[in-house]
Amino acid sequence: MPKLIIDSISVEVADGTTVLEAAQSVDIPIPHFCWHPALGKAGACRVCAVKLVDGPVKGIQMSCMLPAQDGMVVSTTDPEAVAMRRHVIEWLMINHPHDCPVCDAGGECQLQEFTIAGGHGIRRYTGSKRTHVNQDLGPFIAHEMNRCIQCYRCVRFYQEYAGGTDFGVMGSAGKVYFGRFQDGQLESPFSGNLVDLCPTGVFTDKTARFRARYWDYEMAPSVCQGCSLGCNTTPVARYRELLKTTARQNKAVNGWFICDRGRFANNEVNDPQRPRTPLVDNRESSRDEALDALLLRIAQIEEQYGTGSIAIVGSPRLALEGALLLPLLAQCCSAGALCYFTSQEESDTTLFLTGLLSAERSASQQDVRKSDCIVICGCDPLQEAPMLALAVRQAWRNGGVVYVIGDGIDLPCTFTTVASLDAVPLADAKQPVLICSAANRPDLLAATLKQQTHLKLAVLFPEANSFGAAQLAMAQGAISLERAVASGTIKGIISVEADIPPQLLAGIPFVAALDWRLTEAVRTAQVFLPTTAWVEMDGTAINHEGRAQRFKKVMHPGLPLRGLGPAVHPPHIHRSTPPGGDPQPAWQIVALIIAGLSGERIAEPFSERWKRLRELEAESEGVMTHDL
Amino acid sequence: MKIVSDMTALLTGMWITWQHIFRRPVTIQYPEEKRTPYPRYRARIVLTRDPDGGERCVACQLCSAACPVDCISMQSAEAADGRRYAAWFRINFSRCIFCGLCAEACPTLAIQMTPDFEICKRDIMELLYEKEDLLIDGCGKSHDYNFYRHAGIGVTQPRGAGPKEKPPVDVRGLLP
Repeated sequence: MPKLIIDSISVEVADGTTVLEAAQSVDIPIPHFCWHPALGKAGACRVCAVKLVDGPVKGIQMSCMLPAQDGMVVSTTDPEAVAMRRHVIEWLMINHPHDCPVCDAGGECQLQEFTIAGGHGIRRYTGSKRTHVNQDLGPFIAHEMNRCIQCYRCVRFYQEYAGGTDFGVMGSAGKVYFGRFQDGQLESPFSGNLVDLCPTGVFTDKTARFRARYWDYEMAPSVCQGCSLGCNTTPVARYRELLKTTARQNKAVNGWFICDRGRFANNEVNDPQRPRTPLVDNRESSRDEALDALLLRIAQIEEQYGTGSIAIVGSPRLALEGALLLPLLAQCCSAGALCYFTSQEESDTTLFLTGLLSAERSASQQDVRKSDCIVICGCDPLQEAPMLALAVRQAWRNGGVVYVIGDGIDLPCTFTTVASLDAVPLADAKQPVLICSAANRPDLLAATLKQQTHLKLAVLFPEANSFGAAQLAMAQGAISLERAVASGTIKGIISVEADIPPQLLAGIPFVAALDWRLTEAVRTAQVFLPTTAWVEMDGTAINHEGRAQRFKKVMHPGLPLRGLGPAVHPPHIHRSTPPGGDPQPAWQIVALIIAGLSGERIAEPFSERWKRLRELEAESEGVMTHDL
Repeated sequence: MKIVSDMTALLTGMWITWQHIFRRPVTIQYPEEKRTPYPRYRARIVLTRDPDGGERCVACQLCSAACPVDCISMQSAEAADGRRYAAWFRINFSRCIFCGLCAEACPTLAIQMTPDFEICKRDIMELLYEKEDLLIDGCGKSHDYNFYRHAGIGVTQPRGAGPKEKPPVDVRGLLP
C-alpha cells in the first residue's frame, strides 16, 4: 500500500494505482484525455503532467502512466507542471478547427473545458491546419476527423474493450486517422459509446444532430428499458422530445457503457402516432370522463356476467409501482384473475427461473466481468442483452474461459462449444457464471445448480421488470392471461401496459387499456387512458438479478415541438399543459381507479415489504429485492 | 447674519432660473422631432447575413445561453450542404432588456444590435419576433466575415481549401 503526498494531502492507495487515480481519490482533478477509468492508460495526450517534487522519481511526469510509490511528493499546481499542461493544450489546439459553434460536442467537450482551464485563449501559431476527409459511419454516428486530438480512446474501446474489427487507426505521425477502411455503418453493437468516450467532437450522435446544447438539456438518472439488464442511462430531452441517451456509470451493473439498442431507442417515445389522449369508444375525451366511463363499464360487466368476470392484466414491462397496485385493483373490482404474464409458457419459465435466483445465486454484470468460467446455455446474449456479451468479453480478456451450449451463437470473444453442461469443468472454476434465458429448458439447470453451490446464474429475461413481475405473480398467486381466458369466465380485461395478442382479446366484450404504446389492447379498447413512458415519470424496475433501480422523470409528457404541424415556428399560444400532455404514470391512474371503486386514496405505492424502496436513490447501485 | 445668507441663496437660485429662461431649450419634441442615436446604440436586434448572402446564424445557442432574461429561443437544423442554420429563431422583445450580451456572445457575428428603438406595439404578442422578422439582407456592422470560410467543415469551400488549411490528409500515403 504505497503512501504518497499530493498537493500537501497524504493519500494511501492500493498497489498498482496510478498517481492520477490517487489524486482523483482525494478529489484533486488532473486534466486527462487518453486515460479513462474503463480503458486505462495510453500516455498519448501528455496533458496529465504533474511535477514530482520529492521521492523515488523527480521532475515532470505523466500522472496516468506513473504507478504510485511510497514517499512520492506530487504537485499538480507547480508552475512548471502548469506551464507544461498549458503548452500541451496549445499544441493540441494547433490543428483543432474553429468550428465549436457548429459542433454538437460544444458545451460538453472536454477539450473545450481543459483549453479554458489551461488558460490558452489566443492562437500564437500562424501555420496552416491539418484537415481530413470524413467518413459516413451509418445512421447513428457522425464523423468529423478534423477535431481529433489523437487520444486513441475510440480505437481502444472499439477494438480492445468491445472486440470490434471494422474500425481502427490508420496513417502515421501527424496524419493519424481514426475510422473504417471504407465508408459504412459501424458493425459493433456498442459503437454508440464512441460518442460518450470521445473527449471532443469527432464522434457525435447523428440521431440528435444539431438538436440542443448541454446547458439546455433536460436530464435525469434513468434505467434502460430495452432488456432485463437494467443498464444505467442518462436520457436527454429538449422541447418535449427525447433526443438521445447516454451511458451512466454503475459499477455493479453496466460499468461505463451501454449498447446501441438501448442508446438509439428514442423513436418510440417521440412517435407522433403514440396515443396521448384518453378515448372512450374511440372518441376523444377528458381523463375524468374516461375514468367515469371505465368505472361504469366495470359495474355493468359485473352486473351482466357476475363477479369474477374481469381480469386485471399487468406486464413485465410495467414499472414496479404500477405492478404493486394491481392486486389492490383486482380486489376492488372483485376480479376473476390477476395476471402479470399473458403467455402461459413465459409465466412458467420466468417464475421458475426467478425462484432459482436467490441473493447468493444471481450474477450481476460485474460478477460476469470478474468470472473465470462462463457457460452460455442456449441463449444469445448479443441478441437478447448485448451488454452481457460485453461483460463476457471482459471476463475473457481477464483470462476467463467461455463455454457455449447451442448453435448459431456469436460472441465478441473466442469460446468453446460444448455439448452439455457436464462437459464444463465447473467444479474447478473459482467464480463460474451460467448465463441462460427464459427460452431455455430450465428444468435441466436445477440439478446442476444443486450440485455446484458456487455457480452463479445470470438469466436473460425479455423485459425490464420481468423479475419484479414474477416476484409479484408468485406472491399473489397470479395466473397467466392465457389460462384465465381459457377458463371462459373472463368477460372484461383491464390491461395495464400489457402486450396482449389479438387472439386473447377476440372474444372479450369489454377491454380497457392503460398504455403509452400503441398495442393491440389499445386498438381494441373501449376505454383508453394514456400513461407516461419511463422517461416521463419516476419509477422503479427490478433487473435480471433482482436489483431494484430507480429511474427519474426526464421530461414532461407532450407532443414534441417538432411534431406540431407544418408551421415554421412554434405557435404563439399560451396554455398551461402542452398538447398531448395528458399521460400520467400508470400507477397514478390505477390509484385513481381504486379511489373510484373503493374510495381509498393511495399516495404511496410502496407498502409492507416494499417500504424500503421508498427511499431508493437513482444514483445508487440499487437494492437487492430478494430479502426485502 | 442669517437673513443675508438666506436672501443670497434665494437670489442665486432665481438668477439661475432667469439665466435658463433665455437659453435654447434642450428638450426634443419627440415624436415630432427625432434624434439620431449613435451607431452602437443598443436597440432592436437583427440577424445579419454573410458577404455571400448566406444566413450567418448557425443556431449555436450561445446567445440564448448568454441572455440574462431568457428571451431568445431557437432550433437548429442541418441543410443539405452541411450548413447548420436556425430552423426557427425567436426573440421575445417584450422581455428583452437590450443588454447586448447576445451580440457579444455571437461567434459568427450574426446577431447584432441596431439603433432602432421604436418597437412599441399595442398587442404584446406582436413583440414576439420570429426569424423572418429578424433576418435582414445585409452584413450589419461587419462587412467581410463569413464563419464558414474559417470553420474547416467544407460548406462554403471544399474541405482543406479554406484560408490557412492544408489539403486533406492522404491516409493511405506512406510518406511521412
